[in-house]
Amino acid sequence: MIRLLRFFREYSFLYWRWYAAGVVFLWATNWLAVQIPLELATAVDALREGTEQATKILFRAAKIIGAMGAAIIGVRTLSRVLFFTPGRLVEYQLKNDLFAHMMALPASFYARWTTGDLISRASNDITYLRVLAGFGALQIVNVTVALVLAGDKMLDLSPDLTLVVAVPIGCCLVLVQIGIQRLFTLTRRQQEQLADISDHVLASLQGIRTLQGFNAEPAFEARLEVHNDDWLATHVQLARIRAFVLPLLMLAGGLAIWGLLSFGGPMVARGELSIGEFVAFTTYVAYLVPPLRSLGWLLSVLQRALTSLERLEELRCEEPDRLGQAPSPRGQAPAFELRGLSFSYPDDIEPTLSDLSFSIPAGSTVGIFGRTGSGKSTLLKVLTREWNPPPGTLFVDGTDVLDLDLDSWRQRLAVASQVPFLFSETVADNISMGVKDSPGLEAVLERAALTKDLAALPKGKDTLVGERGVMLSGGQRQRVALARALYRDFDVLVLDDVLSAVDHDTEQRLILALAAVGQGQHRPTLWLVSNRAAALTHADTVLVLAEGRLVDQGTHAELITRPGPYQAAWLHQRVKQEQPAEVT
Amino acid sequence: MAQEQESAWALGKKLWPYAREDAWLFGLPLLLTPLAMALALLEPWLLKVAIDDHITPGRLEGLGTLALAYLAAVVLSYGSHALYQLALAIAGGRTIRRLRQAIFAHLLCLRPAFFDRRPAGALLTRATSDVESLGDALTHGVVTIVLDMMMVVGVLAAMLWLDWRLALVLCAVGPPLAIVLSVCRRALRNYYLRIRETLSTVNAFLAERLNGVRVVQLFNHQAPAHARFVSLNQDYRDAAVRSNVFDAFMYAAVDGTASICVALMLWYATTDWVGGAISAGLLVAFVEYLDKLFKPLREFSGKVAIIQRAVAALVKIFGLLDHQEQVVPGEKPRSPLIGRFEVEDLVFRYRAENDDVLRGVSFQVNPGEVVALVGPTGCGKTTVARLLTRAYDGYKGHIRLDGHELSELDIHEIRSTVSMVYQDVHLYPDTIRFNVDLGNPAVGDEQRAEAAALVHVQPFIDELSDGWEHRLRERGSNLSVGQGQLLTFARTLAHSPKVVILDEATASVDSVTEALIQGAIANILSRKTVIVIAHRLSTVTAADRILVMDAGRIVERGTHQQLLDQGGRYANLVRSGLGREA
Repeated sequence: MIRLLRFFREYSFLYWRWYAAGVVFLWATNWLAVQIPLELATAVDALREGTEQATKILFRAAKIIGAMGAAIIGVRTLSRVLFFTPGRLVEYQLKNDLFAHMMALPASFYARWTTGDLISRASNDITYLRVLAGFGALQIVNVTVALVLAGDKMLDLSPDLTLVVAVPIGCCLVLVQIGIQRLFTLTRRQQEQLADISDHVLASLQGIRTLQGFNAEPAFEARLEVHNDDWLATHVQLARIRAFVLPLLMLAGGLAIWGLLSFGGPMVARGELSIGEFVAFTTYVAYLVPPLRSLGWLLSVLQRALTSLERLEELRCEEPDRLGQAPSPRGQAPAFELRGLSFSYPDDIEPTLSDLSFSIPAGSTVGIFGRTGSGKSTLLKVLTREWNPPPGTLFVDGTDVLDLDLDSWRQRLAVASQVPFLFSETVADNISMGVKDSPGLEAVLERAALTKDLAALPKGKDTLVGERGVMLSGGQRQRVALARALYRDFDVLVLDDVLSAVDHDTEQRLILALAAVGQGQHRPTLWLVSNRAAALTHADTVLVLAEGRLVDQGTHAELITRPGPYQAAWLHQRVKQEQPAEVT
Repeated sequence: MAQEQESAWALGKKLWPYAREDAWLFGLPLLLTPLAMALALLEPWLLKVAIDDHITPGRLEGLGTLALAYLAAVVLSYGSHALYQLALAIAGGRTIRRLRQAIFAHLLCLRPAFFDRRPAGALLTRATSDVESLGDALTHGVVTIVLDMMMVVGVLAAMLWLDWRLALVLCAVGPPLAIVLSVCRRALRNYYLRIRETLSTVNAFLAERLNGVRVVQLFNHQAPAHARFVSLNQDYRDAAVRSNVFDAFMYAAVDGTASICVALMLWYATTDWVGGAISAGLLVAFVEYLDKLFKPLREFSGKVAIIQRAVAALVKIFGLLDHQEQVVPGEKPRSPLIGRFEVEDLVFRYRAENDDVLRGVSFQVNPGEVVALVGPTGCGKTTVARLLTRAYDGYKGHIRLDGHELSELDIHEIRSTVSMVYQDVHLYPDTIRFNVDLGNPAVGDEQRAEAAALVHVQPFIDELSDGWEHRLRERGSNLSVGQGQLLTFARTLAHSPKVVILDEATASVDSVTEALIQGAIANILSRKTVIVIAHRLSTVTAADRILVMDAGRIVERGTHQQLLDQGGRYANLVRSGLGREA
């Protein structure tokens, strides 16, 4: 509940003017709606008399009711707009804030959460809060105002009859409320059953060759039948509630009128109530049923919104990485020093990197060599602070990397990774990442050996690459990612095995291009990961990793002379080059 | 429009077989309608009689009976209404259950080539959301819209019968209200479309940035990404806020019009030119009738939208169901198959406009033999393997299985004789037992256990606390690549085919698993007739014959030693590591 109040203070309160105006108009709407039966009562009583005077009263009532009806159209429209709009504005603001928040959260957060879960929270849960802030707020005020205004008039007319009306409506309201609770439980169950059906159909289609190959169609159809029958059972249960429980309030309206006839009729005959007042009572019953019906939904909305709020709170209390404050000015290649760096991922028992110590002078080219799982990529992720190293283990120009302001540190980096992620935009947009004015896109394309590939694409560099870059081949995706890194101004260039999916010729061309990066006047520190020794021939020093440990270090020329994993790979890969025939 | 209706009619006829069994449930509402309608029309009239004949004149005798009649009408009307809603929902549910089952069965018997061109996700939609929107229409749309229209006519008739002049006066509000509502609806339809589009853009953008959050952060792209998100979100917000105005106005217009109608009635009572004396009871009855008149009018557009969605879904569903691309079943062989393949001058292309993939391939495989296919990517070896399982018809030349032309042989018979093991492991989110026997009752416990032991997967299963009943996660993500591979071997052996076509995987596994896999393959090679697309040296050396393929032809054939001695292509391939990764 406190959480709910905090949510309102943080988001809805911004729009208090909307709500305040909404309350005024809602009150006006209900005031008009309650006034009409009273006018009607006067008119009905006048109907019986048929005198000249009565006609005048009737005519006056007709004019007033007509005017009120017209006014209701205006004020009711306004009252709804005034409540629903802030609901939408709250949704808008919440989504924007959540997006910004999530974009700032570190890799350790994304390791714990699935994208599907995050999206569901950002869309479904925020929707429930929007409904609460719009529809919910409207109904709370509406039900209250309607009950107070109509109840007051009804009690005025006759407390006994009010009771006669209230009893059936109250009972049915409770039943409907129970029904709605059950409805939500069942709806959730049905959604899960639908998900089971989708999963089964999807798995069957994805494995269609196997399934057909073993004549397993009947078994898979039988499995679907089980899911399908579960679904149908829930469907029927839901249908029962929808058919019998939800319309109970309409039934309650009928019961209330029956009560009016049985008790109110004699009252009119006894002269305790005028016929006009009796008619007014029937009108009040009709007027009260719709807001009461939404009361049932309102309670469910509130309940769901509370759950959603809790789920959003779980996200909002995740902290972005704001460790360091020290600025890291751009413009000069940094030197690195590792002092006994060990690192393990949160759920792992074995450390991924253990006790790494070495230093890299500014502006040098560092090769990292090792098999899959040797810790190469993790080392790079620690350098870029996607994952924070332990304090006091990694120093940049003598400063602990953790003390650096994260943004300014990342400004100095350019990273291209092994499995590159491309956005479903154009090739050019993927490379420039929104930095449009910086010239030299063509030069970068050339350096990343993309020019020829782009010429073959329908719209060249303005070709849309599709989701995750499906329009491009694996090698092209890697080179676009490489170009994206080269396009930036950087002091440190980090290339994580970017050449794994390109052919031999392209690899050679790229290696030459990369060597040229290191030869400009502003020489960056270059980290180059590969499991192909040929890619590391130009490195000033090569670090050989095995199972997270530094097992050897030296230049390419030194390493190929001594026995070890590097030499073995070099020999093997050289043989392959000489025998270009491939069987895969 | 006429055409559209005609096609809707044709779709309805196609749907009928799936609904026929529940015809009585669909018909029940039509039987109940006269009752429900009569009751609904009776209620206001009873009220009028009670007020005018009893309450106003103060005549209480008979009022009790009338009140009871009113009560009975209310309860019966509620009951019959609930009953027909339930009947429709059950009938709708059962129909779509049947339809879903039929779609699935249809998909499962389509030929493999069909799936080459279509992503599983798109086909999934047919069996899920398309069927769902049809269900909505069957439950809330089609029948109820007819009933609603009948109700409107009934209410109008009742009003005309009670006081036709007053009814006609009230009809004056009809045209302006109808115009206002239709203008709003048209605007809303556009806005709803816009809301759906902008929302899906927002969600797609969100999903993509979350998946690529690493790039966003490494490239300090948070601020531009946020700006872009805000602007997409703004489009969505603006469409939603604007739609609210029309939504609210529509609601309020109906609400206000009801009051205006009351005013019209009172005004009518003051005029003598139509002789407009009306009673209190008539007034109350008319207010009730108007309420019953407005409700279906308010819901009409929503129901039409549901039906439109369902028609669109039906078009897609029957587009699939009418797609006849099943395998032609073929004839059953007279004697059991033993698995002798003769391939003669086999020529094949995947599509008419493409080039030939196979350009005259001939070879024989005798029972008990192991034949290895090797060659560079795209040489046609996978195509040969696929054709041997009759994944594609339309080849030229001959493929004979025990003397029967493959394209004329019963497909299920072929599949139980020839079994293919694919490179990519396919496991289903179910128990290990199901993943091995695939629900085939012919695979007994003994066969399963024997197969598991042969391919060295039994120890792994024994280690699991729930053994064979252990559930695999989606795509077997709780297994290692090697374990998955061994399970698919076990699956194949458990089904005891005569011929195994094995596409060896090149995925790298650790050395212990590699040894297990090699052992498993050796066991398969020694027990079955095997045609293997080979990547391992240990496999080719064990083969009785090796066929070296290049560009759709067989360029060399012989045993490992013979081919090595020849010093040709094969010798080259072996020297460069035969496809093994560095």
